[in-house]
Amino acid sequence: MEKKQKNRKDKSISLLLPIILVFCILGTVVFSVSHKISTEMSHSAIQNLSESLDLMKGTIEAILLKEAEFQKLISHEIANIENPEEFIRSYHKNQTMVKLSIILSGETEGISNTGEVFTEDGLNFSFGKKVYDLPISESYLNYMGTWAYTIKCPVIKNRKQIATLYAEYVYDSFDKSLPNGFYNGKAMLYIMDAKTERLILKPKGMGERSAGHLNLEDFFRANNILDSNLRDELRSSVKNGKNVLFYHDIRHKNALNYMWSVNDGAIYLIGYVPIEAIQQEGKTVNQNIFIVVAVMLSAFFLCCMLYYFNQRQQNKIRKEREIEREIHNKQLAEALQAAQIASNSKTTFLSNMSHDIRTPMNAVLGFTTLLAMDAENPAKVREYTKKIFASGQHLLSLINDILDVSKIESGKVVLNIDKFTLNDLVSSIDAIIRPMAKSKNQIFHMEVTGIKHECFMGDETRINQILINLLSNAVKYTQPKGNIWFRIIGLKQRSHQYEHIRIEVEDDGYGMTPEYLETIFDAFTRAENSTTNKVQGTGLGMAITKNIIELMGGTIEVFSEVDKGSLFRVELEFRIPEEQVDKQFWKNYGISNILAVDNVLDVCQSIKTLMHDTDVSIETFVDIQKALQTIYDNKQLYDMILLGCNAPITKKIDTAKKIREILPDVCIIFLIENDSEDVEQMIDMENTAILIKPFFVSALKEKILEMHHLSNSENAFSNTDVPTLEGMHFLAAEDNEINAEILEEILTMEGASCEIVENGKMALEHFQKSSEYEFDAILMDVQMPIMNGYEATKAIRALQRKDAQTIPIIAMTANAFVEDEKEALKSGMNIHISKPIDIDMLYQTIKQCVKRKE
Amino acid sequence: MKKILLLLIAFITIFSFTACTNHQNSNLMTSEPQQQKVVNLFGPMEKTNPNADNIARTAFDMTVALAEQKLNLLVEYRTYTAENYKEKTYDDVTLDRIRNNMDDWYLLNPDIIQILGTEGKLVDLSVLDSAKNLREVVKTANTVDGKLVAIPQEVVVHGLFVNKDMFDKYNLALPNTPEEFLHCCEVFQQNGIETPIGANRWWLENFVFAQAYADLYNGDTTQQEIQQLNSGERKYSDYMRNGFEFLKKLIDNGYVDAEKAYVSEAIEGEIADFLAQKTPIVMAYWGAANTDTAYGNTDFELQVIGFPSNKGQMPVVSMTGYAVNVNAEHLHDVMNVLDIILSDEALQIYAETNKVISPSKNVEVDCVPALKPLNDKIQQNIYVLGSNAGMNVEQWGNTCLIVRKLLTGASVEECMAEFDALQQKALQ
Repeated sequence: MEKKQKNRKDKSISLLLPIILVFCILGTVVFSVSHKISTEMSHSAIQNLSESLDLMKGTIEAILLKEAEFQKLISHEIANIENPEEFIRSYHKNQTMVKLSIILSGETEGISNTGEVFTEDGLNFSFGKKVYDLPISESYLNYMGTWAYTIKCPVIKNRKQIATLYAEYVYDSFDKSLPNGFYNGKAMLYIMDAKTERLILKPKGMGERSAGHLNLEDFFRANNILDSNLRDELRSSVKNGKNVLFYHDIRHKNALNYMWSVNDGAIYLIGYVPIEAIQQEGKTVNQNIFIVVAVMLSAFFLCCMLYYFNQRQQNKIRKEREIEREIHNKQLAEALQAAQIASNSKTTFLSNMSHDIRTPMNAVLGFTTLLAMDAENPAKVREYTKKIFASGQHLLSLINDILDVSKIESGKVVLNIDKFTLNDLVSSIDAIIRPMAKSKNQIFHMEVTGIKHECFMGDETRINQILINLLSNAVKYTQPKGNIWFRIIGLKQRSHQYEHIRIEVEDDGYGMTPEYLETIFDAFTRAENSTTNKVQGTGLGMAITKNIIELMGGTIEVFSEVDKGSLFRVELEFRIPEEQVDKQFWKNYGISNILAVDNVLDVCQSIKTLMHDTDVSIETFVDIQKALQTIYDNKQLYDMILLGCNAPITKKIDTAKKIREILPDVCIIFLIENDSEDVEQMIDMENTAILIKPFFVSALKEKILEMHHLSNSENAFSNTDVPTLEGMHFLAAEDNEINAEILEEILTMEGASCEIVENGKMALEHFQKSSEYEFDAILMDVQMPIMNGYEATKAIRALQRKDAQTIPIIAMTANAFVEDEKEALKSGMNIHISKPIDIDMLYQTIKQCVKRKE
Repeated sequence: MKKILLLLIAFITIFSFTACTNHQNSNLMTSEPQQQKVVNLFGPMEKTNPNADNIARTAFDMTVALAEQKLNLLVEYRTYTAENYKEKTYDDVTLDRIRNNMDDWYLLNPDIIQILGTEGKLVDLSVLDSAKNLREVVKTANTVDGKLVAIPQEVVVHGLFVNKDMFDKYNLALPNTPEEFLHCCEVFQQNGIETPIGANRWWLENFVFAQAYADLYNGDTTQQEIQQLNSGERKYSDYMRNGFEFLKKLIDNGYVDAEKAYVSEAIEGEIADFLAQKTPIVMAYWGAANTDTAYGNTDFELQVIGFPSNKGQMPVVSMTGYAVNVNAEHLHDVMNVLDIILSDEALQIYAETNKVISPSKNVEVDCVPALKPLNDKIQQNIYVLGSNAGMNVEQWGNTCLIVRKLLTGASVEECMAEFDALQQKALQ
């Protein structure tokens, strides 16, 4: 895996490096192209700016030239007229030439067209600049409040200067010749007088930055040109009439500043153009290049992303498939393993079965042989038949277990939910297990604590099966003199409609190995060791138990240690039936106050809990002396005393006698352990009874009923006439000769007679031929040739004779499933007995049917 | 994924079609001459500092931008600033320009308003709708021969800008009377501050106005006294004398550097020392307290108070105003522009931006804390006018010129004689 990852990493790096290289090359190329374009565009822009400035310079110089030429023309004209001053006075200013003056040669004063006396004072021609060979003055503020300059021109007549003509021009006239909105209004353009450094024509926009500025110094200050070297260089350039371009930031924006000489440096075009305005096209081209590159990169990255997502999707699908395949393989392996285990288990099972069936079968056959040999010896016959019967019983239990597992595995087990009482359950378990434990010299403990109700809804038979399985195992796997504990513990209810019960079966027997614990609930497994291999069983009991518990929605846990014992813990929830409490019962029998004494607090608590809903007041005491004192103090208050305690019987009787002295008529119920001895002494006392622990209300009620109706019951009991089979006449349909013979023998032994037929059809015919009510009942096998039991029953029931509908038809079949019983009842049979025939069961069933008939 | 691919293909297709579309169907390109209406404004321009923001200018620009937007025209701004005291002043240039019809409208000082108003060179602005909202004091100060010849965007109030920290340092209370003021100067001088007052060639006259007209403008006989002055029954020199004598003391004691003041332009000459806390007192107009280009951002506690007078601290109101050339080339357009920039809407913008007293009675805004003492006086109607078009001798310009003579060594008597001559000329 690591190697795979490393390979993948190496692959990624080897793929990444060329990509980075390609991008580096692409970046370099784009940068170079962009830089080249910028440089070329910048050069081009500078060239463009220079040309623009040259154009403006040319325009201004052309204006100046035309002005000078025009002035020369006027001077020629003046030279040819008689009265030059009159000519001057007649001149009217225009937008360009706003003043015309003349000073005759040899004089210091002259006149202007405005009528004023004119002198050259205030005009400075020392700058030495000329236009078309005519001297031009420094700039000055004229009489109109605007910046102006004067050109002086000699008036020559006959090659002799007769006067000087002065013409004043305003800079405002240049304004219309200059571009409107230089570089889309982003550039600034001033005209500066080179001599005075005054800004004589300014931008006319709004605001402090767009208009104003006084002179070159103010221009420097306003534009933050502080470098003295630069300033000196610029001033030097102005002095020498050079054109200058230089980069400098204006208000934090990179700008190209210019100072452009006009008319041999007499005036200067100065200002700045932001670089972004100059390189607008270059910037746009670069922006477009970047957009194209960005789009290409985006497209590339999009493709990469699509490729990546596609790869990821493919990998995901591949991984999912691999996982699926792995799971599938694992499942197959597990299935194979399970099949192998099942196969092994079944092989083991068959081997076990072979052994387990052969063992009792061997006994049956062996004792049958011995029976044949010792047929004349009644004692031996009885002994052999007893052993054959035991072996048969064992074979039957084997078959029943196998059938149970088969049903559970095929999902055919249906719980038969009905009302049952814990008292009945515990009594029946106790009746079965206690003798078993006793026979093995084991001590069987039973505890019931924390139970709030004792009547539940559930499948009592299956619960019995679970408990008998667990307890019989405990008995089986516990050595003599060992202990077996059976506990029923009421847990906290999860819902008030359900009682949550924990059942614990614990023993201090052989215990189990951890390995075995892992497979204990699997079918066909059985703990075997040198000690227990003499124990017989199918190995299906625990599997059946677990399945039934899970079917009931419960859980089972097991804890065990070898040679220390085992603990099985079952948790089940039983629905509590709605009609729990019979309050009227206690009123009817006048019982409203009971005093209970037991030195075990749990017992007292249990009595209180169980009696809680009966409306009977219960006072419990763990101390007998305190109880006696209370009885003495309250005297007539108690209707019944429950007397527990683990004291010897004699002590209990003494206590009862003391109670009698205080309350002579009170009913005393002794609560005793099941295995208590000398209980007769208690019964001898008047108005007393014995109740076996654990305490249940239903048991107490039965006991009270029993005490009140003892005499009537005894009379009724003595008058009961137990029905026998004596004189009865049966029709039996049985295709198996041996079974037919056995049946006939049993019935004969009971004093009944029987007619055997081989199949259903014969049974039908035989019944048809018989007289009405000739037979007391029909014993019908199901699987028979020609006509089976169901068809025969249907046919009999369909007959038109009086007893056809009423004659009891008893199914006697090896088809032992519930469905078989249902099918039998559906076909019209009255009752179903599964084979092999239990003679006691047959008696009971026949008696029941006969009784019904009677 | 398919959707994304489809969208991508669609985008590329549209992009390609768009890129390949030739919008230019003809090779013939024509250039139409741009017809942009323009009005020309002539105004002063301070020398600029790099990267500085002039709030006052910004406020004015905002109102002009409002007019440009509403009227779809362009206001072109022509400027002049004298390079030094020897050059023509802004007022001189303005007179030349308006007499030669160079521009459409102007920002004028009070004396120029009066001169040009008298010459009939300015349009009567009372016809503007916005003129109806003006305060009476504004109308009074700018009415010449019954014509409202100029309207300002703010009532310009002059005051003394004092470094309160320095006054506190020497345990000096802010002065109310001329005597108290002299005492403060004396104390400052004794503590090594040789020239306690930073001055320029323009605004020393405020000391004179405060003392000259404190009683006239804050008494019950204002109009009567002005009529007596106009008729020659009273002499301007009698009013002015105390102020000039006071100025003379300041000069003689060295509290004002007369030589420096004579050659210094407004703010330029004194700002550096004042901000450096070498000078505790300067004089300036209201807006200077709001703008970073003047005293809007000091390192000390700035307070603006009135000039000392026998009636206590006295603000001096002198209104510059916008006036229209009667021969303006774009008269109709410029009148529309003025109507907008002087409307309540524009004046609200101006006053809020510049924190000044608006000429409109409908516009009121709060002032900065430094101006509170001065504002309190104005709110109490305690002030003197530095210019009054109702007086036949122009006050603001003439007094300024005569103060300059005092700065160059003229005696108080000589100065008074100048006033008498002016009054005589006016009476003739």
